[in-house]
Amino acid sequence: MQRSTVISLALLVAPVALGAQQHTQQPTTAPAVAPAAPHDTVRGAISAVDVRARTVDVTSGVGFAIRVVRLAVPADVPITDREDGTPDRITLGELKRGDVVRAAFGARPTGFVAYTIERVGTMEAGVASTP
Amino acid sequence: MTRGAVVIALLVLAAACRRPQPGDPLPGLSAAERAQFDSGRAVFESTFTAEVGLGPLFNASGCAECHEDPVAGANGDEVEHHAAVFHPERAGATCDVLADKGGPVFQDSVTPALHAALGIDQEPRPPIVTTIAERTTPDIFGFGLLDAVPDSVILSYADPDDKNHDGISGRPNRFFDGRLGRFGRKALVPSLREFNDGAFQIEIGITNPSVPVEGTVAGDSLPTGTDPARDPEIGGRALVLTDMFVRLLAPPPPLKQSKEARRGGEVFGTVGCTGCHVPKLPTGDNPIVALSHKEVAAYTDLLLHDMGPERADICFALATPNEFRTEPLMGLRLATHFMHDGRAKTPEEAIELHAGEATRARDLFKSLPAADQAALLAFLKTL
Repeated sequence: MQRSTVISLALLVAPVALGAQQHTQQPTTAPAVAPAAPHDTVRGAISAVDVRARTVDVTSGVGFAIRVVRLAVPADVPITDREDGTPDRITLGELKRGDVVRAAFGARPTGFVAYTIERVGTMEAGVASTP
Repeated sequence: MTRGAVVIALLVLAAACRRPQPGDPLPGLSAAERAQFDSGRAVFESTFTAEVGLGPLFNASGCAECHEDPVAGANGDEVEHHAAVFHPERAGATCDVLADKGGPVFQDSVTPALHAALGIDQEPRPPIVTTIAERTTPDIFGFGLLDAVPDSVILSYADPDDKNHDGISGRPNRFFDGRLGRFGRKALVPSLREFNDGAFQIEIGITNPSVPVEGTVAGDSLPTGTDPARDPEIGGRALVLTDMFVRLLAPPPPLKQSKEARRGGEVFGTVGCTGCHVPKLPTGDNPIVALSHKEVAAYTDLLLHDMGPERADICFALATPNEFRTEPLMGLRLATHFMHDGRAKTPEEAIELHAGEATRARDLFKSLPAADQAALLAFLKTL
């Protein structure tokens, strides 16, 4: 992982109070691995998916303080599509740039690891303020 | 009644009848809200130093360094720089707002410690950048009312496919989490609070509970020792108070209109300016009574419009380089420069620089008799 990416990830470790980044909370489904502090969630747009490396980049932020978080996505991490209300399991390869996701994740020495990923809509179509 | 009591009564009456001035709070605040407004103004007018957290990268040492003319919350002559990557020639071209480099705002100043460590005077622009945009400081009067306009109202003006064939096709921008955007020249930011909280970090380098960690130097970490202040550099109360000051700033009340200006207001509609510069927007339910169910004479629809390739600069989320949010015109008479980059020095020049979806309205204005043009300009100078 590039140094700059590590730095960007570090910016998202601490929970933030507003908007796109949600208050710290437990994941709604069983985590793939036991959570370790710090444990956080992020809601933002997918800016890159690397199926081979099993990572996703999620862009989010507060106002113009825009950040990206790269999440490793182990094979057993539940990825669901909630766009039409009911959760349907999807694969990492079905996520695409511009999808709005909500991800619970934790920190590891190698970076951030996703516990759950939910697709809640797309930027183009919009997502309500409090999905 | 004594003569002294009469004088006092007259002074109180005069104060009550005083026309609101730029920088005044909204009318009808509770005592507690007014106290928060006053305390928030003090934070807004604070100047930060490196010892208390300024920078190491920054555009200003405090909010009022830019939002200053003629009072705190007004516009300013500072210009800052935003950058992005956009390759329209590539199939499926997407907008890269440089999130992995710390976002599109590239600060133009550094603290002495960062200069000593890296030998830079501003944040370096990465070589991948395709466009650098200039952004002037807008006034923020009445922004609390804009924040209180329901999403549904803004979306009701959207016509992305121009189904009514009026040549105007406003569409919404969205923040990265899908929420409707409304603040910023490209309508990216959904709420005033987020705009304010983010600005502390991105403009002043002041970390806070909403943005608790410093940014980067174009994606690289800050050198050790260049940011000695402990994070977060201001607390949640300072954020709340600053937000309340900004939120409760009243829009400057329009000046009394002459007969010519009133006619100019009609011409403003006739030539089609109101297709984007919607004269009034309603607010919805709001916990602050002074913001709840009001009409704000904003002269904006808070949507994106294509302003033509001549004005194009950066992309920003869903906004293409050509697209800009309709600039609110409330307080226009106080402005000393116009358009997002300040290149227009008069309202006439600003009208001349309108293109894209505004071409028809601009050309109709130019074809008006001189008296009608003068009337429209007289109207604008009352806002």
